[in-house]
Formats: sequence, structure tokens, C-alpha cells
Amino acid sequence: MKRRILSCMLAVTLLAALLSGCGQKGGGAIKIGLTVPLSGDRAAEGSYASNAAKLVEEEINAAGGVLGREIKIEIQDSTGTDVGATNAYLKLAADKDIVAIIGPDNSNDNIAIASSAESSKILTTGQGSSPALQSTCEQGEWVFQLRACDSTLCAALMDYACNETGAKTFTIIHDTETASSDQARLFQEGIEAQGGTVENVLSYTSGTKDFTAQLTQAIQTNSDAIVMACLYTEAAIIIQQARDMGIDRPIFGSNAFGDPIAIDLAGDAINDVYSVTAWVPNTPNELGAAFSAKYTEAYDEACAKAAAQIRDHVYVICAAVEAAGSTDRTAVRDAMLTLTSYQGAITTYDCSTRGNCGKGGLIVQVKDQVPTIVKEITT
Amino acid sequence: MVIQLLVSGIAVGIVYGLIAMGMVLIFRTVGIMNFAQGDFLMFGGYFAYTFNQVLGLPIVPALILASLCMGAIGILFMRTSYWALRGAQAKAIIVSAMGASIVLKEGARLLWGSIPLSLDKVKEGSVTIAGATIQWQYAAIIAIAFLLMLLVYVLLEKTFIGYIMQATAQDQYMSSLSGIPVVVSIGMTFALSAAITGICGGLLAPIFFLSNTMGATAGPKAFAAIVIGGFGSVPGAIIGGLIVGLVEQFGGAYISSTYQLVLIYVVLIIFLMFRPKGLFQEKIQEKA
Repeated sequence: MKRRILSCMLAVTLLAALLSGCGQKGGGAIKIGLTVPLSGDRAAEGSYASNAAKLVEEEINAAGGVLGREIKIEIQDSTGTDVGATNAYLKLAADKDIVAIIGPDNSNDNIAIASSAESSKILTTGQGSSPALQSTCEQGEWVFQLRACDSTLCAALMDYACNETGAKTFTIIHDTETASSDQARLFQEGIEAQGGTVENVLSYTSGTKDFTAQLTQAIQTNSDAIVMACLYTEAAIIIQQARDMGIDRPIFGSNAFGDPIAIDLAGDAINDVYSVTAWVPNTPNELGAAFSAKYTEAYDEACAKAAAQIRDHVYVICAAVEAAGSTDRTAVRDAMLTLTSYQGAITTYDCSTRGNCGKGGLIVQVKDQVPTIVKEITT
Repeated sequence: MVIQLLVSGIAVGIVYGLIAMGMVLIFRTVGIMNFAQGDFLMFGGYFAYTFNQVLGLPIVPALILASLCMGAIGILFMRTSYWALRGAQAKAIIVSAMGASIVLKEGARLLWGSIPLSLDKVKEGSVTIAGATIQWQYAAIIAIAFLLMLLVYVLLEKTFIGYIMQATAQDQYMSSLSGIPVVVSIGMTFALSAAITGICGGLLAPIFFLSNTMGATAGPKAFAAIVIGGFGSVPGAIIGGLIVGLVEQFGGAYISSTYQLVLIYVVLIIFLMFRPKGLFQEKIQEKA
């Protein structure tokens, strides 16, 4: 009797396993991991990224998938911290079916997961843009920085500030978190390379909401222009407070200042601010414009950089899988290195270098709450 | 520069003071620090946003309605996080409050999303005084904060409800023997505390924007204000809040903008070393 029951259970299990495979083509979906902050201070990025992941997954599957198989994007919450990013990464890496993992949109978090990527031997794409992440990628074998590095972008913005707007003296205000501190250093180097002078460098700890102390000092310093390196919420707060305090001199900012999140929050206060970024929703890139329109139609909100980046990362990974002709992790990583001019929605990617794979960027000025391109960076 | 820093220091400090006052009211009544007080600030801001931006009400009625909603949230919080554990050890109630804090944060994210939000200011624009440009919103915060303090004073010192709340705070057992409905009294204290803090959320949101983590920075500063002012003292909480706000602004401008937050805790440590009872004398050891 017992044997008969066991036989029945085995038969049912086998039948269930057989049926579960019926809906999938050629060995089940190809899984791609995604670590984004769904909670914590940077959860807005996660919201955009998750929306984009859903959209891209549908788009690719509707077009026939990859290697004749559907793709599936598995999302884990990185909580906006390096510890959270590592935990999320390790959970995804433990799934043997995942062929590649997209890291969070923060260099620090990507650097934190780099050693796990090397030991897990899984293709990982980092969304951060700092020089520190660039060198981490170049020293390792498994992490690719699918962004243009800040060293190029910050220098280009300061070149523009000194030579096109005529500003010669600057005050820099920056967040003390790693990426913003790096950007502030690069801004300073860029100013000095152009013969300008940095008269004052002010900073604040992440999470600061009242910038009266910093802005009061900036007013007293009376430089020709102010340069700010902040995350998007702080970018909106500081620019509003700066305008309320009567600061009307030119302001140059990091990529957050051209992002729809900061623009929506800051309103008119952000008008005239210059920033350097890889993405604007009204991009001249055809693929980008199509994705931006599709995203806005689907979610009734402007497509932020956090969304566009996910689109490009997923497509680049899928291209690597197609080029590899298999889902073997080493083969996919090797195929990734052969993608030397992949056209994405944001820019063109050369993955042969691992670091600084994205090319070029945009200098934008916000006009009537719309980021308007004033110069394209081509290097 | 001094006027600018003074006004923003007072405005931000008085908000810390009001949050601290809300914590002190609960502490005096049930003897437990409410570690979810910062989340009352956040939730109040979101209620004000809903009434102002979603339902289109002017900001002042929106703030009043938000404070009433927060009163209800305060009672709900008391029934779910404190009342069932009132006979348990203090640490169990503290852990319960921490759990409630997570529920409030994640609940806010589910209800209002994760993208930061803003709402109308009480008065737009700014005024220039002796070369310093002062936002009207800061002036409104100071005025409304003083009004709230006056109302709380009248409620506690001049009304029967206030007497009941104070009696319960002094001795729950004797109050119940005297016929005071202790559960109602404690519920009213939680409601009052949540309502005051919730209004602060609605006042700060147009300047600092709303996110489900906005209470995380204000809560610890309010706690510092309580220690500086003296545990259990309502005037101490307000004065402590003002000290924290002014140290933050003047320290940030004249000592180090990077270590603004550190300076607050340096002052806190100095108080703990040289005046552990705080400004208003009550011994921390007796209260903790």
C-alpha cells in the first residue's frame, strides 16, 4: 500500500514538472538579476527601475525573447545601502539559472558587490559612474561599468562653465557620500584645469534637509558660480532654498539636477541650472526617444535615468547572451567583451574595456522645467 | 548672515522641540520613549499632502484635518503597540514601537509611493530683513508652533481633560481608583502627541519634501532635545529643540558644515557629562 502511495506521489511530481515546462521554450526563461533600492532613501530610483524592467521584459519577450527563450528579470531590494546591495546580490547569485546581474545605480554599492561578483563568477553590470568603480571594473573580470565615467563628464561641464559662461571663481557644495564627494573632487580638478579658482568647498552629510548654513556661506563667498554635487532629493531641496535665499548666480550641478525627479520637486527654482548627465527624457537618441515615449505612456510619468539605464543594461546583457549562443556564465562574460559598439537608448557602449563603457554625455540647462541640451559630449 | 541663521535655527529647532514635546507627553504618561515619533511626523506630512494636493483643500484646513487623522493614528498606535503590552517589560514595548515604525514607513510607501512629494506652503515667497532673505514658511512655522504650544498649555493646565491626562501621567493606579478611565486618558495623550507631530510634518514638507524616511533624521534630533532639556520636561523639550536647531545652523556655518550633525551630538555628550539631568533638572536615571 505504502509503495503504491509513493508511486502515485512520484508520478504526480513528474507530471507537474513536465507540465510546468510546457509553457517555456527551449529550457525555461533566461533569468537576469536586478538589484535596486525598493526601500530606504533612494526608493524612487527602484520604482523607476522596476517599472522599466517590467516594460523591457515584455518588449523583449514580445519580440521573440533571447535564443528563442523568454527572459525573466528577478528583482531584489538593495535598500540603498552597500550592505543591502551585497545581500541582494548574493541572493540572486545563489540562483544558478541567473546568467547576469544588474547592480544598483550607485558606485559605492557596485564597489561593495564587486568582490561577490568575482567570487560568484557571474557577469555583473554596474550602473555607477565614479572613477573608483571604473578602476574596480578594470581590475576585475566580471563587473562592467555600463556608464560614461564622471571624470569625463565633470571635466566637460567645468570646461563649459569656464569657457562658455565666463565664470572664473566657484564655490562647491557637495554631499559627503562617496559618489558626490568624487564628483566634487572632479569638478574642482576640472575648474583648476581651465584656470578657474575654487574659493570655497562646503559639504553636508547625506540626509541633510536644511542647507541654510551652507548657502549662507556660499552667499558670503560671493563666487561667480556655485557647483553642486548632490543626490536628486537633496538637489531639489538645496536649489529651492538657494532661490528662496535670493541666489541667482549661475549654478552647475551633477547629473541629479537634470533628472525628472529633481525637476518635478524643485519646480521653477531649478530653471537655468546647468548639469551634466547621460540621459534626458527628451533625448535626441532614436531608441531613447522611443523608450521614453513608451515609458511615459505606460506609467504616466517622465522617464528618469534610473529607468533608461535598466533598459540599456537588459538589452546589452541580452546581446551578450545572443552573441555567446548559450547561457553559460563564462561564455556570456566573454561575449560581453566583444560588444564594442552596442547602440543603446542612452548612448553607445564599448564593453571591451569593462570600465567607462558608456560613451559621451550631455550638458543640459533646465528651461521651463525641461532639461534642454546645450552641448553634447562626444568622447 | 546671523539673522538668516537665527531664523532658520529657531524654525527648525522649534519643530524638533514640538516632536520632542510629543515624545515627552507619551514618556510622562507610560514611561516609555516612543521610537516611532519620527514616523508620526512623516505620516502627518502625507495626510496633509493628501488633503492639500489630492483633494485640493487649502493648506491650513489640510493641516487641521491631517492633525485630526494623526490623532486617530495615535489612538490606533496606542491600542496596537502599547496597550496589549502594558504589563510587559519596557523593552518589549520599545521593540513593539520599533516594529510599528517599520509598519508606518512601509505603509506610507505602499499608499503614497516612493517618489518624494511636496505640498503648498502656508505662505509663498520671502522677506528681506537686514540683508537676510527669510522664507515666509519659516515665519509660519514659528508662529504655528507657538500657537500649538499655547493650545497644549491651555489643554493640559486649564481643562478637565488636561487634568485627567496629567493625573494619569502621575499615577495610573491612583487615577483608576479615582474613576478616571485610564485607557481613554492614555489614548488622548497618544492622540495629542501624534497630532502635534503630524502638523510639524505638514509644515516641514514644503521645504524638505515628503518621503517615507523623513522621520529618520528628525527623530534622533528630537531625542537629543529631550536629553538636553531634561527627561520628562515639556518646557525642557522645547528649549532643547531650540538649542539643537541653533547649534545645527550656527555650528554648520561657523565651525563645520560637514560635521553639522556631529556638533549636535557633541553638545549632547557635553550635557550628559556635565549636566546629565538636562536643563530642567529631572534625573535621567529616575526616569529611564
